[in-house]
Amino acid sequence: MSHFQRWALALTLPAGALMLAFYVYPILQVLGLSFSEPTPGLGNYAELVTNPAIRRVLWTTVQVTVPTTLITVTLSYIVALAMVQMAPGRRRLAMFLVLVPFWISVLVRAFAWITVLRRRGIVNSTLQDLGLIHKPLALIYNELGVVIGMVHYMMPFAILLLYANLSDIDQSVIRAARSLGARRWMIFSRVWLPLSLPGLLVAALFVVIFSFGFLVTPALLGAGRVLMVAEYISVQISNTLNWGVATALSTSLLVAVGLLVWLATRHPALRAALEGGRK
Amino acid sequence: MQRQTFQQDAFDIARHKLKTGQLSRRQFVAALSALGLSATIRPGAAHAAASEIVVCNWGGAAIDAFRDAYGAPFTKSSGIEVVVDGAGPSTGAVRAMVEAGNVIWDATDGGMTDAAVLGKGGYVDPIDYSVVDKSRVGEGMAAEYGVANYIFSNVLAYDATQTDGKVPAGWKDFFDFDKFPGQRTMCKWVQGQLEAVLMADGVKPEDMYPLDVDRAFAKLEPYLKDIIFWESGAQSQQLLREGEVVMGNIWHTRANLLRKENPDLTWTWENQLIFASAWSVPKGNPAGKEVFEFINSSLLPEGQVTLLRAMGNGPTNPAALALMSEEDKAVYSLAPENLKDVLHVSAAYYAEHDAEVQNRFLDFISR
Repeated sequence: MSHFQRWALALTLPAGALMLAFYVYPILQVLGLSFSEPTPGLGNYAELVTNPAIRRVLWTTVQVTVPTTLITVTLSYIVALAMVQMAPGRRRLAMFLVLVPFWISVLVRAFAWITVLRRRGIVNSTLQDLGLIHKPLALIYNELGVVIGMVHYMMPFAILLLYANLSDIDQSVIRAARSLGARRWMIFSRVWLPLSLPGLLVAALFVVIFSFGFLVTPALLGAGRVLMVAEYISVQISNTLNWGVATALSTSLLVAVGLLVWLATRHPALRAALEGGRK
Repeated sequence: MQRQTFQQDAFDIARHKLKTGQLSRRQFVAALSALGLSATIRPGAAHAAASEIVVCNWGGAAIDAFRDAYGAPFTKSSGIEVVVDGAGPSTGAVRAMVEAGNVIWDATDGGMTDAAVLGKGGYVDPIDYSVVDKSRVGEGMAAEYGVANYIFSNVLAYDATQTDGKVPAGWKDFFDFDKFPGQRTMCKWVQGQLEAVLMADGVKPEDMYPLDVDRAFAKLEPYLKDIIFWESGAQSQQLLREGEVVMGNIWHTRANLLRKENPDLTWTWENQLIFASAWSVPKGNPAGKEVFEFINSSLLPEGQVTLLRAMGNGPTNPAALALMSEEDKAVYSLAPENLKDVLHVSAAYYAEHDAEVQNRFLDFISR
């Protein structure tokens, strides 16, 4: 290690100490609670497996997460691909429009979707006025509403990730394909898509991990009918004082997320995409 | 919830810095206004311990209302400032604070059930009835770990334009979808929900507890698709205001706000489900025993009527009735004319069964 590297390392120590004190230590406490509350042992983890209500909560979480991820990544890919090819001025405008919802609180966005999607909301009343439907569609207070809200929340994140990845792709490769006579679809399927696959997977991973933690959106747009894991944990911590089960569930989620990220870093291309670009 | 907890923490940090001289008063005030907290506390009193009582409630308009109704009279008689923090004293929050040995609340505003649950867990001190005068509250309102500070109800609120002007007669009509077609809203938090279902199914108030949960689920099941479950009072209000639902099982305070906005949105007291809210004192509270003087003062009828007028939260002191106008009585759960076929929700039952029944309910409605 050079003199400079030792100095650089020393400079990270305060941040490292802060992380240990305010992040790692509380997480270890949570881990400890899962083995000690209300009685020492593995009882809480046994309950995660045997309690049918918790199984249903986890299944609901999967049922919401899968479509959310697929839709978010697909739509975001389209937007990101378009942005990469835009002229700089337009691209700035597009980037601004992507970032606007990014800055609005999740609570406000959930209430805004309620206004849009409710039975007397703008979507239903427009469709009814046009005579396309006779009864209002159930767009909200079910899994559909939760997916809509979550996709909207996740898209700016996914677009930014995919945009970074796509703009790293060497444009001379595209020009080469074109000069060799490839048509649009061929360029997309044989050049863009394979080169952006690691970025797509990283964006998907990101959406999946975030979806596990969604609390406000399912609570408001699901209105009690869509109980996801983060809300379940929150109820056990704040209301029922079932801290043992809540911490066991949190710990398991943390491990699951850790495993997903670890698996992703096994693959060199994914690792490069996770670390942000290949330069 | 998360945001409030964060602000809570930030407030705590700033206050500590002020006390230890790391922040000047002016910096402290600036930090608070940056956190959006300037309206909730009185920094002027923060430097001298035990010269203030910190009360925690659920925020919103209740911060000012508590300050006027409970805080001002006590400050006037004792010279001790009362600070109202709206962070929401959930049982989980109180437990976390007590276990961390970093209690900043002197009195918390929770349900009678919360008081009993926290008492059983050893997170709150017993109410000191040598200071707090039991005779200032009605029967059954002075428990070991909580003394009732106000009364509220779950009522049947309805949209008269959607019921064609008909007044629903209690929970039987709430679940009569032929007579009153359209969606309903109920609360996700179970207390007062299954009681309404069972009353509609013919269970008499005196036979209500222990709750027959299976019977309630069987009755509720066919209607689930037409019920939207609210989790915050604001949400229940929005659902009725926007015409999404015909009827709701909501807090009478929210129903009262709705009626003030639009007289077509109103409620019936018939079959109301009555709850007592309670003060509890977290173990190791900063002001120590002095908090009981505050609690005793908060049970005086004048302040309680002030709270009723501001929020609709009803007095627990029977003497308050004599101070009320007809208008006041119209929003008071315990006014004699409002007590037709009502149920007093059992805090004792929920102190034992809340966690279990709550989880079964959430699981049931989300299937």
